[in-house]
Amino acid sequence: MTLALRRMYAIFQKDMKDVSKNMYISTTALTPIILAFFYGRMDNIQLDMYYLIINFTFSIVAVFVQAAIIAEEKEKNTLRGLMLSPASAGEILIGKSLLTLAFTGITLALSIFLVGYEIPNAPVIIAALFLSGLFYTALGTLLGLVTKTVMEASVALLPVMFVFGLTPLIDAIINQYPALSFLEYMPNMQLIELAAQMEAGGGFAEAWQPLLIITAWFAAALAAAWIVYTKRMTDS
Amino acid sequence: MEYSIEVNNVSKVFSNYEALKNLDFKVATGEIFGFLGPSGAGKTTTIKMLTNQLRPTDGEALVLGRSMARNWKDDFQQRMGVLTDNSALYERLSVYENLKLYCDLYDLSYSRIEEALEMVNLEDTGKKAVGKLSKGMTQRAMLARAFLHAPELLFLDEPTSALDPTNAAHIYKSLRELNKKGTTIFLTTHNMHEAETLCDRVAFLDHGKIQLLDAPQKLRRRFADNTMTIELTTGKKITLDNVPENAKKMYAYMADEQVASVHTNEPTLGDIFVKLTGRELV
Ligand SMILES: Nc1ncnc2c1ncn2[C@@H]1O[C@H](COP(=O)(O)OP(=O)(O)O)[C@@H](O)[C@H]1O
Ligand SMILES: [Mg+2]
Repeated sequence: MTLALRRMYAIFQKDMKDVSKNMYISTTALTPIILAFFYGRMDNIQLDMYYLIINFTFSIVAVFVQAAIIAEEKEKNTLRGLMLSPASAGEILIGKSLLTLAFTGITLALSIFLVGYEIPNAPVIIAALFLSGLFYTALGTLLGLVTKTVMEASVALLPVMFVFGLTPLIDAIINQYPALSFLEYMPNMQLIELAAQMEAGGGFAEAWQPLLIITAWFAAALAAAWIVYTKRMTDS
Repeated sequence: MEYSIEVNNVSKVFSNYEALKNLDFKVATGEIFGFLGPSGAGKTTTIKMLTNQLRPTDGEALVLGRSMARNWKDDFQQRMGVLTDNSALYERLSVYENLKLYCDLYDLSYSRIEEALEMVNLEDTGKKAVGKLSKGMTQRAMLARAFLHAPELLFLDEPTSALDPTNAAHIYKSLRELNKKGTTIFLTTHNMHEAETLCDRVAFLDHGKIQLLDAPQKLRRRFADNTMTIELTTGKKITLDNVPENAKKMYAYMADEQVASVHTNEPTLGDIFVKLTGRELV
């Protein structure tokens, strides 16, 4: 176990040094904070607006940073060195997620503070944000593994932002086409649904189902990333 | 005899192209084994297959006594080292930071970093970012990474292709030391001099097939045409068959103090390769 920790921490430290010298990734990751700062100065902010910023943070930090640092390992031929080392797939994938998770947590906390969102029922909302962070990081991992370069990962981010970022748009679509109401099960929809319930004074009785659905999304994204990763080990 | 690598009738087909055809050879534990061939011969493909980066289309290979299982275990990867064209270092990090990461991954003491840097003649370059190194320095830094954990079995794909003769010689010395301490080395090269000075045995690979396999000296003897060339003090060169009937001629040149130099005509590995395949080793 201690050896596993040594390996994961080493990968985290390496990523931290690497990203701190990578202007493209580090400046992109700061945009949600700037956005939150400006929105925070408006009056009368609706819940939707808070979650627009929260989802934007997930897309830009969790998905993009994660996808970019993994795609870069492929682009620069460094991932193979990790794979051929004694570190296990689990150690590598967790180690490579630590920086993104830390980055996402910090950016999210700052954005929420700047935009002035007062969290009702903090344990539930924080749990939901944490699970969402795990899901988006796993999604970023998947995206990084299926693309070959940082540029490709940046392009692939656009549809992700569109699908997971523009929650109000999905709401409008569902209203227009009831046949598409299954879209309500999307993790971003579940998150905002949960937030609305808590805003209205709901408790755990209302919370467990959305939490479970978000967890299922995380499990699915993780499984997909795992499968792609193990396939990548013998195909260069 | 104990073998570190046993390749049994391995073939590799890429879509329609047959890159390796029925490879069949063994590498003894403790050997420095050279895979010699022009580019496109299938050298890198062979290393990738032996290190589980590619699956063979047909046949089986045992590495360190183990078949190419789907997933290799921890201790297995601890026991071997690989340097191929797809194993790069992190460009924004210093050489030292890169090696430190690998010390952590292989569970080594950081004191290994200095030792590995010394082995590749990069003692003073540890603090430099890898992206700022010359090609030759980068290759040496990558070699340092492969040397870090002094594996039982080391795969090196053209390890000195970007090095000047002085640094190549330094690497040869380090490889011999590693080998003496117990590392079996499988290296590919298209440099016949490297194969001759370093390898216990070499295999000639051309168009995905092993054409010849033996110790360099034996190959040279086998392909020698049994003649000798005498250079006279006048500058004239005379080639004689190395047979008793020519002893008198030789005696005469020597008695007259006419001999400037004498040598038997053994072909280089490069000559043998050309003779065998009609192709140069480039
Ligand atoms: N992934 C691949 N897909 C298709 N052809 C490949 C692939 N990898 C190698 N080849 C082909 O296989 C042959 C051997 O390549 P390689 O092993 O790299 O040769 P070498 O290392 O001896 O220069 C070449 O003709 C190369 O084009
Ligand atoms: Mg090659």
